[in-house]
Amino acid sequence: MVDTTKNTQIYTTWGRNVAKPVNPNVAGKIISKAKRPLLVVGSEILNGDHLLVEKTIAIAKKGIPVAATGHSITALIDKDIEAKYINVHSLGHFLGDKKWGGLDGQGPYDTILFLGHKKYYLDQVLSGLKNFTDLKTVAIERHFIQNATLSFGNLKQEVHLEALDEFIENL
Amino acid sequence: MSDIETGLFSIDELENVQITIGKIVGAIEKKAKEEGVEVGPTPKPGISGLRDWDFTLLSRYQPVYTPVCDQCCYCTFGKCDLGGNKEGACGINMEAHQARETLLRVITGAAAHAGHGRHILHHLIGLYGKDKPIDVGPSNLVAPNTQAVTGIKPETLGDLEEVMDYVEEQLTQLLATIHAGQEGAAIDFESKILHGGMLDHVGMEVSDLAQISCLGMPKSDPEAPLVEIGMGCIDSSKPVLLVIGHNVAGVTNIMDYIHEHDLGDKMELAGLCCTAIDMTRYQTDQGQLPQAKVIGTLAKELKMIRSGVPDVIVVDEQCVRADVLDEAKKLSIPVITTNEKIMYGLRNRSKDSAADIIEDLSSFKEPGALILDFDVLGEVAPELAIKMSKIRDEMGINALPSEEELQELSEKCVQCGACEMDCPTNLPIMAAMKAGIDKDFSKFENLHDKCIACGRCDQACPKDIPVLNMIEKASQKLIREEKGLMRAGRGQISDPEIREEGVNLVLGTTPGIIAMVGCSNYPNGTKDLYLVADEMLKRNYIVVMSGCSAMDLGMYKNEDGETLYEKYPAKFLAGNLINVGSCVSNSHITGTAIKVAAIFAQRQVSGNYEEIADYITNRIGAVGVAWGAYSQKAASIASGCNRLGIPVVVGPHGSKYRRALIGKPYQKEDWKVYDARDGSEMPIPASPEFLLTTAESIEELLPMLAKNCIRPSDNNMGRMIKLTHYMELSQKYLGHMPEDWYKFVRMETDLPLAKREELLKILEKDHGWEIDWKRKKILSGPAMKSDVSAQPTNVKRLCKGEC
Repeated sequence: MVDTTKNTQIYTTWGRNVAKPVNPNVAGKIISKAKRPLLVVGSEILNGDHLLVEKTIAIAKKGIPVAATGHSITALIDKDIEAKYINVHSLGHFLGDKKWGGLDGQGPYDTILFLGHKKYYLDQVLSGLKNFTDLKTVAIERHFIQNATLSFGNLKQEVHLEALDEFIENL
Repeated sequence: MSDIETGLFSIDELENVQITIGKIVGAIEKKAKEEGVEVGPTPKPGISGLRDWDFTLLSRYQPVYTPVCDQCCYCTFGKCDLGGNKEGACGINMEAHQARETLLRVITGAAAHAGHGRHILHHLIGLYGKDKPIDVGPSNLVAPNTQAVTGIKPETLGDLEEVMDYVEEQLTQLLATIHAGQEGAAIDFESKILHGGMLDHVGMEVSDLAQISCLGMPKSDPEAPLVEIGMGCIDSSKPVLLVIGHNVAGVTNIMDYIHEHDLGDKMELAGLCCTAIDMTRYQTDQGQLPQAKVIGTLAKELKMIRSGVPDVIVVDEQCVRADVLDEAKKLSIPVITTNEKIMYGLRNRSKDSAADIIEDLSSFKEPGALILDFDVLGEVAPELAIKMSKIRDEMGINALPSEEELQELSEKCVQCGACEMDCPTNLPIMAAMKAGIDKDFSKFENLHDKCIACGRCDQACPKDIPVLNMIEKASQKLIREEKGLMRAGRGQISDPEIREEGVNLVLGTTPGIIAMVGCSNYPNGTKDLYLVADEMLKRNYIVVMSGCSAMDLGMYKNEDGETLYEKYPAKFLAGNLINVGSCVSNSHITGTAIKVAAIFAQRQVSGNYEEIADYITNRIGAVGVAWGAYSQKAASIASGCNRLGIPVVVGPHGSKYRRALIGKPYQKEDWKVYDARDGSEMPIPASPEFLLTTAESIEELLPMLAKNCIRPSDNNMGRMIKLTHYMELSQKYLGHMPEDWYKFVRMETDLPLAKREELLKILEKDHGWEIDWKRKKILSGPAMKSDVSAQPTNVKRLCKGEC
């Protein structure tokens, strides 16, 4: 079992309210129990050897719809998953609107999962969600994302991939 | 009774008495009346003057707050935790506080430009007098921002003083609202933000009008010369004088001294940031060659200093690193400060002789000097550079580590990750260190272009490894090859150019203006700018550059060895690439939009901001891109664009401005305007769908640009062209047809010709539209009609019968 809660060092602070470190199995169960989860995937999944693309597809295949931000959609087309492009800043705005029908018109989401984002960018978007919505946000990134509700700690790449596998097993 | 005029007067009967009459109450209105110019409803608007217009914009584009800090530390009640939109001790909540924080950034940026404007105006009036005519090229509307906002049509430098008085007074009023116990509503802070942005464009315009008129800068010149740019274009065997900043006032004295003493070939004069751009504009309006070279942006500042190449550094104002003196001292480079905004604690030597200052600085008695007398500065800086070059050569200064030292430093790294975590872009430094142990420094080289040279890695390292120096040393070959060409700033777009191109912009047959402005805090290196500009130019957009973006664009060459400045012409026509100039030249971009409304559409411009902004919002397909925006100035520039309805996209770092303005395309009631012909409501496409937002990557940015150039006034040809680009760019960069393309279709002729039949089938099958297949016409389905005679407006009073 991978421990993803050890290193939660931060280098800038947003304030008192900081993400709770979470292990992959717990994160997986939280997403499984969510009524209306959404996986938000950023363009960083396209970096390097596309290993994060595989993980994204594996998560989506568990029936979780995907909001593909930046140009991450290019790796998710024709993969037999429910993925739609949206700008992450707009998404952050719409998620706080109870009248938004969601990407599929089925209504608002309750738990939002994040993977493949620039750390500084995601923390900004999450700062809006943290302060102005009651959404539960879970970051399964390589870095500790302090503005999420729950986040993995700072991880080496190989540990991160292992943690994602364990997370997927628990979905 | 005769009228009194401004100027100097003597009275015959009184000896040695001279009277100066500066301002005359009501002079603007009187002059406007004499010239037959009608002044609109809001000359010199106060904070609430355009509030209704702001609220109109803000009802469609709602503020999206993403706090950088959840706390407020403004007063001694606090710190207050506003997390979760709580109220602090003074009663302000998180939303209002975030809007207030944004306002503070915007007026800081506006004050930087206005302060610059006041300084250079004062300086130039001292040299040329208040009666010096404003001459910026073949235009009658020489100051579109100034005229639209204040109602003043300036003709001389002296006229600009009153404009600056207004800007400064308003900025003070805005700053006052930041204080505890003032404004409490986020929406009103938002209106103030837009007010601050508008003022910024006036302040910038004054700066550039004054310097173009007096300093021989290109005047709306599409043939402005090409200028050498890049760290590699510096001949370090010569004495090197490096100038950093934005205000060229004192630097022109240095340039004059170099010219008059025939030192041009004997030394290198190079600049960083917008001073560099303005140095290359100086005295080039008669076809002369630029007398300086451009090194680049703020991102090159620390790298250039640490290279040890400069023999003397002169700084003026804005975007100058706070540690220039400390860094320069380490390498025995004297620093001269020349502007009260940056003095670094140095002794004021303005009244000393040049010889004494040169002696003290070259003997290291003092690390630098403050010189506010530009004649003294003009002599000291070049002569000191010549002297220091020899001294520093003899000292044998080694600025960067050797290859052996690179390996040793790599071995020192304990792979703790502190540098990566502290790096603003989380660059993979640890992997470069690991490879460096085996003398593979290629990974350091890969970091060079992505690194903004902030130096935070050095500060974070527990082992005191000079990471930045390692990156620079490993990239010496790349740096030597950094040689490009940038077109010198051409100033504003002239009235005749607007007459020629305005109709194409309003009807959409020129698909849009992409204004690439701002700083160098890019998410993924400088080449992205080149890729974006080239793609949009190939598609016939007009691409307008300014400031740091204008510099970085010139660093890249195509397969034929040409920069984009060489590849594309520089007129204000479709498919042309324009560099308007430095930071303050950004006012010419908004000025262009105002000119289209005033000249092409014959809208009254003086003191008539709301109507002009309304026209631009609904008709001019322009989008600003500040891909590397980092500064408060960039925030104010964007806010000034926003008040005119011009949307701006910033790179992902721009999310740290903590507030965006984003519309909800799914909320139909937000996308309606009036038809000014009869006041009826008409639906419009959701474009621009934001006034300020971020994009994650250039692949996402490119289709966003095309889409957000769509405007209600597009004719069928224009809409077809814009839609074609939106679809093609989405397919090229996002790999799919955009989901919302059909929402922009009003009739079959809006559809791209080559794909019309295929798209009609999709409209019928997927969206239930009714098609007459014999005539290939859409019978029903579109949410809006195509009517080129429609007069879209957001302002009810502009509708027929309303006033």
